[in-house]
Amino acid sequence: MIAFITGMGWITPAGMGCGRELVKTADIPKLQSAMCDPNAALPSLTGKAVFGKAYRQFGRMDAYSKLGLAAIAFALRDAGMDQWTEKREIGMIGATRYGCLHTDADYFDTLIPEGGLQASPNLFAYTLPNCFLGEAAICFGLTGSDFMISETAPSGLTSLCMALESIACGESEKMLCGVCDLERPTLISEEDQAWRGAVFFLLERDADRDVSSYGELDLTRSGQILFNGGKADDLMAVVLGCLAGM
Amino acid sequence: MKLRKQHPVWITDMGVVTGLGDTPDDLWESLLAGKSAIRPVQRFSADNYHSGVASCISGLSASGQASMIHDLLDRLLPEKGRIPSDSHLITATTKAGIDYLERSHQGEAADSQDLLLSSFPCTVSQKLGLTDTGINISAACASSTIAVARGAARIASGRTEAVLICCADLVTEFVFSGFSCLRALSPVPCQPFDRKRCGLSLGEGAAFLLLMCEDRARQEGRSHLGSVLGWGAANDATHITAPARDGCGLVQAIHQALTVGGVGPEKIAAISAHGTGTVYNDLMEVTAFQQVFGDAKIPIHSVKGAIGHTLAAAGGIEVALGTKMLSEQLIPPTVGFSDPEAGAAGWVCAESAAISGDCLLTTNSGFGGINAAIILRKGGAA
Repeated sequence: MIAFITGMGWITPAGMGCGRELVKTADIPKLQSAMCDPNAALPSLTGKAVFGKAYRQFGRMDAYSKLGLAAIAFALRDAGMDQWTEKREIGMIGATRYGCLHTDADYFDTLIPEGGLQASPNLFAYTLPNCFLGEAAICFGLTGSDFMISETAPSGLTSLCMALESIACGESEKMLCGVCDLERPTLISEEDQAWRGAVFFLLERDADRDVSSYGELDLTRSGQILFNGGKADDLMAVVLGCLAGM
Repeated sequence: MKLRKQHPVWITDMGVVTGLGDTPDDLWESLLAGKSAIRPVQRFSADNYHSGVASCISGLSASGQASMIHDLLDRLLPEKGRIPSDSHLITATTKAGIDYLERSHQGEAADSQDLLLSSFPCTVSQKLGLTDTGINISAACASSTIAVARGAARIASGRTEAVLICCADLVTEFVFSGFSCLRALSPVPCQPFDRKRCGLSLGEGAAFLLLMCEDRARQEGRSHLGSVLGWGAANDATHITAPARDGCGLVQAIHQALTVGGVGPEKIAAISAHGTGTVYNDLMEVTAFQQVFGDAKIPIHSVKGAIGHTLAAAGGIEVALGTKMLSEQLIPPTVGFSDPEAGAAGWVCAESAAISGDCLLTTNSGFGGINAAIILRKGGAA
């Protein structure tokens, strides 16, 4: 059960970008340190910073959707697949701890005054964790299956496992998978800590395009993820493994 | 698509709680009698909204600091031991314990952990004594349809032997106001596929389905309520809150499900449609079904006029209902339907109708442009 990682994009407290662009300039230890700093802030996102041009719809999105869409945009650019003319059957699986809870709270704040008369339809449209996958589908013409997952003890690897399963059983040839989380919402206990940022990978069943691979991902029968034959304990191990191999 | 599918997937146990009762049989009997649970909302004031009706579960309440979703699960889930403790767990909820926000605003003590979608599978796992703490799938109104698909795919590929699917969503002011401000609510109980339809009615509900590979189910002497034969999911890539008018995503999802199931359209005896009662959803579905089935006019049923749109729980409830339709070789009346939308004439029935065949298609679509399809096979015919 092997797939190739051909694209990687991220937005973290250390910055944003594509694997191949970032690796030229980044100080890897510094990058790793900043990625794991629980107090570091995420960079602000604009359509121009992400897409290289104004993208009107981007400004209407909630912060969570901007974060996830930006990581997918960078991953597709990294893989040379951000330009398209015909829709493509690429699936997406993302993992999140807090999802769109910030947006839920913002929407609820519009609901309270005047007994619901001022409730915001624009905010309500983003009160589902999977909405940014829909935005990515529209933006990049992606018609595969897509959904978000939430789990009790996230390692960040479950979305990769499920994407590999989908490729292995013949449902998909290309899958985007990764994680997306803003900072912990104030509604949630301080004891609950999750990594903040978004990282998405493009996995491909076949290495038949004119783009190099970062390496091979394998899912064992026991559910372990192997990157280039070595066990990956968490998502960061896969990210750093990709960068180290470039 | 060449799917590597080695193990038949049985549905061996199920439960359903809706506004029409706490068991699948309660729902079935009420549907045959043409009943609807959509009534004036008592839980909160709906004075400022475009609708004042929904299907709420009688007597559902929050206990202590816990969300109402715990009460819903207590009604739904079987006693410990009925579900094998080694079952893989996949849940589906869009908003879990979102009633926290309303209770907290009213000054009640409430547990904010219920807001986390990951708390939902954790709670199910604890209540049933499962080893797996599970994952929750969020794909809007197609969440539990996709959960069933993922569970079936895991069993079919031999990665696991048993998967418990559990889905639930509540009627809360949060969700009700949102659909109201999107002008998606019908002021009267919804009328799926009817010419006069003008929006959806919300409902709350929950379902569980135990999926198991055939070999283990036979070893354990489990019932064979039905089989999950095929599955598919696809995105319209068109709009966040509106369906693609040509039904492109739904057509793709159905074709995938037929391919995975290894059956042609002629084998489908009935369709359990999403059928929300919104102008664009129902039109999109009819368009998609016409593309796949041509002039065959497969009998279509929508349950939304009876129990409302139960959001993430809709797919799971409709799979449970679909197995009953196949075993009884009957589809209940589509409550709320009387004057067919032009394309729906001859497909949707206002009365119960006999069906003939072993396979049923069930479909759901949701925000974010997602569509999902499941093909069920009659129990005992695997």
